[in-house]
Amino acid sequence: MAAAWAVLRKECRSEWRTRYGLNAALLFAVTSLTGVSLAVGRLGDRSDVLAGLLWIVLLFAALASLSQVFVREVEGQTMTLLRLVASPGSILAGKLLFNLAFLLVVELVTVPMFLVLMGAPPPRWGTFLGVLGLGSAGLAVTATLVGAVIAQTRGRAALFAGISLPLVLVVLGAAVSATRAQWGGGSAGNELRLLGAYTIAMLAAMMLLVDHLWED
Amino acid sequence: MIWRIGLGLWIAGGLVAAFLWAPLVPVLEETTRVLYFHIPTAWVTVVALGWSMVHSVLYLRRRRMEHDHQAAAAAEIGILFCVAATVSGSVWAKAMWGAYWNWDPRETTIFFLLLVYGAYLALRSAFDDEERRARLAAVYSAAAFVAVPFLMFVVPRLYFSLHPDPIVNPRGKLDMDPRIRLVFYAMLVGFTGLYFWMQSLRVRVARLQRRQHET
Repeated sequence: MAAAWAVLRKECRSEWRTRYGLNAALLFAVTSLTGVSLAVGRLGDRSDVLAGLLWIVLLFAALASLSQVFVREVEGQTMTLLRLVASPGSILAGKLLFNLAFLLVVELVTVPMFLVLMGAPPPRWGTFLGVLGLGSAGLAVTATLVGAVIAQTRGRAALFAGISLPLVLVVLGAAVSATRAQWGGGSAGNELRLLGAYTIAMLAAMMLLVDHLWED
Repeated sequence: MIWRIGLGLWIAGGLVAAFLWAPLVPVLEETTRVLYFHIPTAWVTVVALGWSMVHSVLYLRRRRMEHDHQAAAAAEIGILFCVAATVSGSVWAKAMWGAYWNWDPRETTIFFLLLVYGAYLALRSAFDDEERRARLAAVYSAAAFVAVPFLMFVVPRLYFSLHPDPIVNPRGKLDMDPRIRLVFYAMLVGFTGLYFWMQSLRVRVARLQRRQHET
């Protein structure tokens, strides 16, 4: 656990030095939000559409950067060194925590902007934050696992979105439908449970598979 | 050889019975017959993807290329049957619902499944090193199979769907006309046999290709 914590601290520090991933994700989120907002205008009375747009903006902003944690190591040729000082489990845990924190920062900027720009009705905060939290967890777990695999391929960044998206679609579908339900006044319990179960199942798969991720 | 001819005759018999012997279900009428093709293909999809996952895990434990061949072949054939299930379902949807595609929860999830395993094949093509391809594709396949029960069983039951399990099967258990049930099970067995035949052919090709590569 201490090693995972150290990996997280190292990730935060190296991200803070360049802020490359964060800048890219935020810029992507803000520009795509601007694009959406310009194209469709304010949609205060169409919360069904808003829910979909919100998650698409978040998803693509996130996917642009979530593989960076591993691609950076491979490109900087520091992966071997990292593996000498930390176990695969703690590397993966540290990177996962970093991706989660990264997503929260992106959401902290994107979500309020989205609500204001799109003229969204006030959300039911408890459910809304629950969906954002569980959705981010599902996204982070899946993207971290796929990122670790993708970093070792030829295509790397280009492949990442295409490979991780199908596994993320369950998260996206459930999160959109829960967000829609909280705006529409319905219950989002089933979707929240689905998100939670999927995240836990993926996390369990990740823990079982971690020893096979790096070998040579 | 004998059992391959047997398999051919078995499926041919099932086909004839499906059209000439088995009765129709009210409401579904003529479209009842899709049952004998659509459900077996969907069933084979799950069997094949499960087979792929089992061999992926076996590869990770034992590191024999044989398991990698099995896993890759099963994923390829699984996708093929998944496409067959999607298309047969879609043709049926045109007849019953009036449109080939409606994003019904069943249609949505089977489409996701296609994407997940399409990504698996895309991933396999992105490695130069054979051992690394086998290992990381196995990792992805094992993780991807986590999504399968959610897509096949959880999501379609969570949302309102027009998928006709309740019409064919009103009390939630296998409660069909005995003739329909017989043909249905016969086709299920026939398609499963067909799958394992295709699987063995594909694995043999992969084995020969590797041997050729080595010499």
